[in-house]
Amino acid sequence: MAEPNQISWETFLYMAGEAGLNTEDPHMEELFPYVENALQGLAALREMDTSNAEPDMAFIPDREG
Amino acid sequence: MDGLELCYASAGQLAPLIQNREVSPVEVIDAHLERIGATEGVLNSFITLLAEEARSSARRVEAEIQRGNYRGPLHGIPVGLKDLYNTAGVRTTSGSRIFDNYLPDRDCTVAARFHQAGGILLGKLNMHPFAYGPTGENADYGHMHNPWNPELITGGSSGGSGSAPAAGQCTIAMGSDTGGSVRIPAALCGIVGLKPTYGLVSRSGLTPLSWSMDHPGPMVRTVEDAALVMNVVAGHDPEDPGSARVETPDYTTALTGDIEGLRIGVPKEYFTAPLDPGVSQTVREAIGLLEDLGATVLEVDFPMFEYAQAVSGTVLMSEASAYHRDLLKRDADKIYPPVRLRLEAGLFVSAADYLKAQQGRSEFNRAVRRLFETVDLLAGPTEPVTAPRILAQEVQAGEMSIGTTAALTQYTRPYNITGSPAISVPCGFSQDGLPIGLQLAGRAFDETTVLRAAHAYEQATDWHRRRPPI
Repeated sequence: MAEPNQISWETFLYMAGEAGLNTEDPHMEELFPYVENALQGLAALREMDTSNAEPDMAFIPDREG
Repeated sequence: MDGLELCYASAGQLAPLIQNREVSPVEVIDAHLERIGATEGVLNSFITLLAEEARSSARRVEAEIQRGNYRGPLHGIPVGLKDLYNTAGVRTTSGSRIFDNYLPDRDCTVAARFHQAGGILLGKLNMHPFAYGPTGENADYGHMHNPWNPELITGGSSGGSGSAPAAGQCTIAMGSDTGGSVRIPAALCGIVGLKPTYGLVSRSGLTPLSWSMDHPGPMVRTVEDAALVMNVVAGHDPEDPGSARVETPDYTTALTGDIEGLRIGVPKEYFTAPLDPGVSQTVREAIGLLEDLGATVLEVDFPMFEYAQAVSGTVLMSEASAYHRDLLKRDADKIYPPVRLRLEAGLFVSAADYLKAQQGRSEFNRAVRRLFETVDLLAGPTEPVTAPRILAQEVQAGEMSIGTTAALTQYTRPYNITGSPAISVPCGFSQDGLPIGLQLAGRAFDETTVLRAAHAYEQATDWHRRRPPI
């Protein structure tokens, strides 16, 4: 089971403000559960063993051929 | 050849007729405009139709050919471009009213190459807003409708690029594929969709969704036409920083029909994932036919498959939100609400998770390269289900009910992570008459093997000859 990828309402609002979103907008009530679900959907990432991998920052096809 | 036959003829069939002046490009364009007139009210494939411009181009092309200046197999062929390909002086909306009046001052590289080859631009094709969704929804310009049943989705994001060739509205369409957006509508609309290797076809002048996973690609009715398009659009472009410096072959030379000895791997994991039993059976029969044609079929392990959604989803959300961040600040209220939510959610993915996804991508690439040491191609379903209803939030895949987006991208995302070429080719129909696609993926820059196998399969079947009831 993937480690939960949770975010609190307070953290959500803080991050939304830092990202330039209007935290007073009632839209935040709709966005919060969407963000919770979206992050949970990515939680499997944390199960991956990437201890021997560097980030593939730019995919360079010539190198992959 | 009557009007409808002209609309369903492939570029490979039309080219010699146009070259020998047995068919005029003017006739071809007029037939397509008539077909569009008869079907567009149902399908909504186009955002911008260029009827007069296309007629005028056809007359010019006809005169060129009469003077003996035949340019090649795409000369005089009707082309549609997804509406995120910049076209000089022709509005390019990216599927959003926010850009309703955006007139690029120059063609993107792909449009310029079509122009050079003598292709005739019929119009700009409808799409999921900003290419951010796999269904073909669009509240601004109207949803796209599947020619096999207009109550169902085309798939997306290149929905109009799926419905237009499928319904004979154009001969060639171009889509773009970040998580499956060429292959999904190709499979659901019953046509061929090729996502070439990352860097083989220029992204220059296309609205990005995810810089590292965007792949422009052809959507056509035959594998031969996909090869003909690749002959025009593939190749290095200094204006695309991701463009590969590789020699490009004549892709039509791959279409030999011979797949004797080709090793085709079938990942076990494809068939334990949520999958409609009818689709499963149809795809297994298609793979069986490839074996009958001389390929060696092997069951393989693809354990990384389970991480595809998480890896590509993290990269996609981060890159899409980074690109559209200013738009979110400026015009969030004008963005199609489901797309707005996706874009905003990407702002909450941490840098650490983005980097973890890129590490995961390295591992994913390594694992797929290892697989391609033992097989030449990977085969399986393009989609786990046939086309769902428009705006359906969930689909039934076998015994499981899963989210539509997750289902539609289940088999396509892995090859956006690796950048390897993958094609969807029609391989049958469901009991209710809906198309099913077979996906074949190959090594980076080995489009010839992908096309060779797809063509051999196509030539042994007649699925690509069926026409939708519209």
